[in-house]
Amino acid sequence: MEQKKDIVRVSHLHSGFEDQKVLDDVSMVARKHEITVILGSSGCGKTTLIKHLIRLYEPWQGEIELFGQDILDMDEPEFNTLLLRIGVLFQNGALLNSITVAENVAIPLEQHTRLSRRVIHRLVRVKLGLVGLGQSLSKRPSELSGGMRKRAALARAIALDPPLLLCDEPSAGLDPITSASLDKLLLRMRDDLGMTVLIVSHELASILRIADSIVFMDAGKVLFCGPLKEGRSAGIEEIDRFFQVGSF
Amino acid sequence: MEKSRHFKSSSDLLVVRGDLVLRNVEKFESPLKKWVDSSREKIASIDLEAVESIDSSGVALLEELVERASKKGLRLNLINTPEHLQESMQMFSSAMLPAETVTAKESFFERLGRAAFNTGKEFIYVLYLVADSFYFSVINLFSRKGVRKGEYTSQCILIGMNAFPIVALISFLIGFILALQSASQLRQFGAGIYVADLIAVSMTREMGPLMTAILFAGRSGSAITAELATMVVTEETDALKAMGLDVVRYNLVPKIHAISTMMPLLTILSMFLGVLGALLIGVSYLGLGVKPFITEVISVLYLKDILTGLVKSVVFAWLIVLTSAAYGLRVRGGAAEVGRATTASVVTSIFLVILADSILGLIFYYSTKSPI
Repeated sequence: MEQKKDIVRVSHLHSGFEDQKVLDDVSMVARKHEITVILGSSGCGKTTLIKHLIRLYEPWQGEIELFGQDILDMDEPEFNTLLLRIGVLFQNGALLNSITVAENVAIPLEQHTRLSRRVIHRLVRVKLGLVGLGQSLSKRPSELSGGMRKRAALARAIALDPPLLLCDEPSAGLDPITSASLDKLLLRMRDDLGMTVLIVSHELASILRIADSIVFMDAGKVLFCGPLKEGRSAGIEEIDRFFQVGSF
Repeated sequence: MEKSRHFKSSSDLLVVRGDLVLRNVEKFESPLKKWVDSSREKIASIDLEAVESIDSSGVALLEELVERASKKGLRLNLINTPEHLQESMQMFSSAMLPAETVTAKESFFERLGRAAFNTGKEFIYVLYLVADSFYFSVINLFSRKGVRKGEYTSQCILIGMNAFPIVALISFLIGFILALQSASQLRQFGAGIYVADLIAVSMTREMGPLMTAILFAGRSGSAITAELATMVVTEETDALKAMGLDVVRYNLVPKIHAISTMMPLLTILSMFLGVLGALLIGVSYLGLGVKPFITEVISVLYLKDILTGLVKSVVFAWLIVLTSAAYGLRVRGGAAEVGRATTASVVTSIFLVILADSILGLIFYYSTKSPI
């Protein structure tokens, strides 16, 4: 069987805030064309880990490689170029409220490409159409529901067709139907576009639908990193409890 | 036939090669549009057989070319699309998207009507806010219910005590400058001593309350608007309502009480330091003695002068706090709206303070039959 390339590789990462340790010797990988889900209880460091991947936090020690390049050694311009290959969906969407949804999605296209305004507008419509917001182009984020805001943020994250997509709790707070359609979209991106997707999620139904691999975290440590099936049969108490309680 | 590494073209056929992805699309867009524009055919084709990969920008470019061609009467067909591109072409096609809705532009009268309606709505809201503020301000003098313990004291410190240095400095400098400007004129007539009269009257009746109010509008008014607006945006005010608390009573009334207490105190300070600034000029520039200067100030000032200034200061305080609250609590949207509301609140507060100053000046003038 062909060994898939690691798009994300984190090795022995230690990090925290002031004296409080949040990540304790974290090592994990996310493979090409796979959906990897980081899961675990609240406060175990999932979001902190994902924010390290885009250098929003500085680690105490350890290594982070994206697309085979050590991002901690990169200078700012070099890393900014790499960021064009990464789409990020933040927990609360993080849309700019002073501009319309279409203008939000257009930001990366206007700032990082030399495409004409007409092509950019067409791309914005397509991306918003993909997430089911084709009719909300001229609305402000404050006029959208929580789920719609999240979908608009996803449209912005995939504006540049990034090969790597990082999503922080994409399904949280969404109704099951919207959540399922979002999962379907993520699966389509993996299958049709060959995107690598790394997701932080608590939603068991969503995890079971989309995850190829999981990274299970507990109290800042990684207890398991590997295929979902192997994780469920690994006999790790915390993982068993997570799936049992979650399906209750 | 034109040739490049990525495409070759004749007037009715364009063959595209390689990757039709973002990095190439940027380069292709202009020459491909030129090809469409220069074609004199009725039917032309884009051959995609040699395209290895395509992304959303590639699909958008192809659709843009087809639309551009159709506008000039050229039918442009996409031919030989490879199997492996079909999924992406379908996924990123805008063909299935709903047509864009174009909202009709409002006429002048529609806009006028909407503006009038919105102004009316805002006016009614402000009336409710003023009524609630007065009502709860009086109620809370007797009952502390619905207000956080210690809030009045902390607001007094925040709004009043922390403003002490800047109010003191500005008032001293205003008195100093006014005295300097008037002294140079008055000394020509041997009337230097009247600098004391001029500054004492102007600082107590006018400049003391006005300068303190303008500083309050800029410093505390903006802070009140920003705080309340942020609370609205982050749903904190909704949370208070959900807990059965009145936002005006919980948030605004302690501020009203604090500003109503601190504003007159700071106004008195401003009056005193303004006269002190003038005294410095009187002694150093005009060669007046300290005692004659103070005697002159005491002889020209009446209690009603100081009371006039204090009445004005309370009116200004209420105008500032209610304007700031009205702007803060009406914010909808996000961070940018908070900034806009804060700026608008400061500008409106200062305008209203100056307007109220003029009106009060007229009222005091006609009620006492002496210019105030």
